[in-house]
Amino acid sequence: MLKLWKKFPGQLKRLILIFLLFVAALMTARHFLIPHDYGQYGNYRGGSVHEIANLEVKYAGQIVCVDCHDDIAEIKFAGYHKNVACEVCHGPGAAHVEDSDIELTSPRGRDLCILCHEYLPSRPTGFPQIVSESHNRVKPCISCHDPHDPVPPEAPKECSACHGTIARTKSHSYHADVECVYCHQASPEHKVNPRENLPSKPKTRDFCGKCHAEDADVEFGIPRVDMDAHEKRYVCWQCHYPHLPEAGQ
Amino acid sequence: MEPTTHHLYSLFHEISGYIYPNEIELHWKLLIVIYPYLTGLVAGAFILASLVKVFNVQQLKPTYRMSLLTALAFLIAAPLPLLAHLGHPEKSYEIFLTPNTTSAMAMFGFVYAWYLGAVLLLEIWLDYRRDLVLWARKEKGVKKWLHKALSLFSVDIYDKAVRFDKKFVKIITIIGIPSAFLLHGYVGFLFGSIKANPWWSSVLMPIVFLFSAIVSGIALMLIIYMIVTMMKERTVDRACLEKLASFMFYAMIVDFSLEILDFMHRIYESEESIKILAELVSGKLFVSLIVIQLLIGMIIPLMAIAGAKLFKIPFELKKIVYFVSALLVQFGIFSTRWNVVIGGQLFSKSFRGLTAYKMEFLGLEGLMVSLAIMILPLFILWFLFKVLPPWDDARNP
Repeated sequence: MLKLWKKFPGQLKRLILIFLLFVAALMTARHFLIPHDYGQYGNYRGGSVHEIANLEVKYAGQIVCVDCHDDIAEIKFAGYHKNVACEVCHGPGAAHVEDSDIELTSPRGRDLCILCHEYLPSRPTGFPQIVSESHNRVKPCISCHDPHDPVPPEAPKECSACHGTIARTKSHSYHADVECVYCHQASPEHKVNPRENLPSKPKTRDFCGKCHAEDADVEFGIPRVDMDAHEKRYVCWQCHYPHLPEAGQ
Repeated sequence: MEPTTHHLYSLFHEISGYIYPNEIELHWKLLIVIYPYLTGLVAGAFILASLVKVFNVQQLKPTYRMSLLTALAFLIAAPLPLLAHLGHPEKSYEIFLTPNTTSAMAMFGFVYAWYLGAVLLLEIWLDYRRDLVLWARKEKGVKKWLHKALSLFSVDIYDKAVRFDKKFVKIITIIGIPSAFLLHGYVGFLFGSIKANPWWSSVLMPIVFLFSAIVSGIALMLIIYMIVTMMKERTVDRACLEKLASFMFYAMIVDFSLEILDFMHRIYESEESIKILAELVSGKLFVSLIVIQLLIGMIIPLMAIAGAKLFKIPFELKKIVYFVSALLVQFGIFSTRWNVVIGGQLFSKSFRGLTAYKMEFLGLEGLMVSLAIMILPLFILWFLFKVLPPWDDARNP
């Protein structure tokens, strides 16, 4: 080995030494800088799993709440908030389970409720939304609504109470003056159980033709189509959005 | 209004069509444009150097050492935009300690280290070793010890040792060519493998990146060679300059053909993204893609060089034509990087709208930091030229 080393040109010996030094430095760095449990489960420190598992448990979970507060749970599970866990509003409850002297908080203001119920165009239609700036500004939500059984104190009179996005879109369309009930018939039950009692939609082309057919007896300026020639296989609203008919097809 | 909100608010007027909320702000900004631009220059300059050693193009010999040092200067600066963009540069060594082989981005450190250590530094050291030893013998003071240390206190300069150096350099250059392809092909691969983005996702991407890198590297060497020769008040080697211009021309022809091929392929395929891409090219990218990249950075220099080669014009005028063409090519290639990086983020993944990029002036991802990173390699190069003079008359006989 030594004989072979002596045969190497001087510059190659230097390069080999530098390379070996570099490898040694890398191995030393790996030895000291990589935590010993790195790679135990994956590209992270194995110990971190146990550290996270040993973090203090702060949430008790809804099932534990029901054990003592079964009266409230019964009301809540029958209402619209059945899928909202208790601790979403009352905060982490593990300490309260251990020691009932530690009391949980209840939201008394308006800040928490509007996290879900402030009007946002991206929220699903039919989801109850308010504009908090104009909706009973000084009153806390719980003065009118019971959060465990949140039904409106009185059934909304206007469709826009729930269908805010549609109402806003329609309000600046050519159909602004057409009342909702002109096209949709809703039973009174719709206000209580909206999804089980859906309102109707126009079923035939003739319904739109009442205003838009060439021979319709309505005022001048409404766009007309030849109902016999124009896309006969479709109901109008399959291509035209009635709440904003001027939008592209 | 918060500064971030204020920054984004001014973009609202620039948005057209429908975009998703998280698409207003671009995440890869000017720094990420500079990163492939710099690595491209490195790869291109190295390929030029290898033309001398591997393909024995003797006319380019005056630019050989200059190309190697330029590649080194730009390679030193190449990771800086990434470090500035990612933040926490003090943690960057971790990618070497715990390599993640399933992440292309995490493997960059190794591609970079291989190219720097196993190719560039080694070739420069072996090529300069004899001169370093001889310089150190003649010099005094700091310079003597600097050159001694750089030669790793080597002393053998007899014929056999120098012959060994030359042979070794040739082997490294041969390894260096695929390595240079790997370095810049890798950058193209990063973009080309993002399958969710139709502007980037293309197998041609690494190849297009590579040839545009060769174009920009040769153009840069033409500029540096002419400026340095002028500054040192020497005459430009006519054969060398003509060869540089020829190779730049050939590389541009290949690059141009590949880009046109990519373009035709996209149009013929006409995937669902074609409409928004057409809108992008004819709108927001019109100036940077059609005017700067294609017209100013490709067609005009191609015609100018072809004209200068075909018609008999005075050499002084030719020099100007080549120099200006090389400058235009630099603008063109920078625009290419811009169009890839920024262009790929300007359209919504819904394919229904376009957003805009507002460049910051100050700040870590702003114009000033980017300019500083772009200028830094020139200072490094100036320092390297001082320590390792590449001129022929600095060589020891």
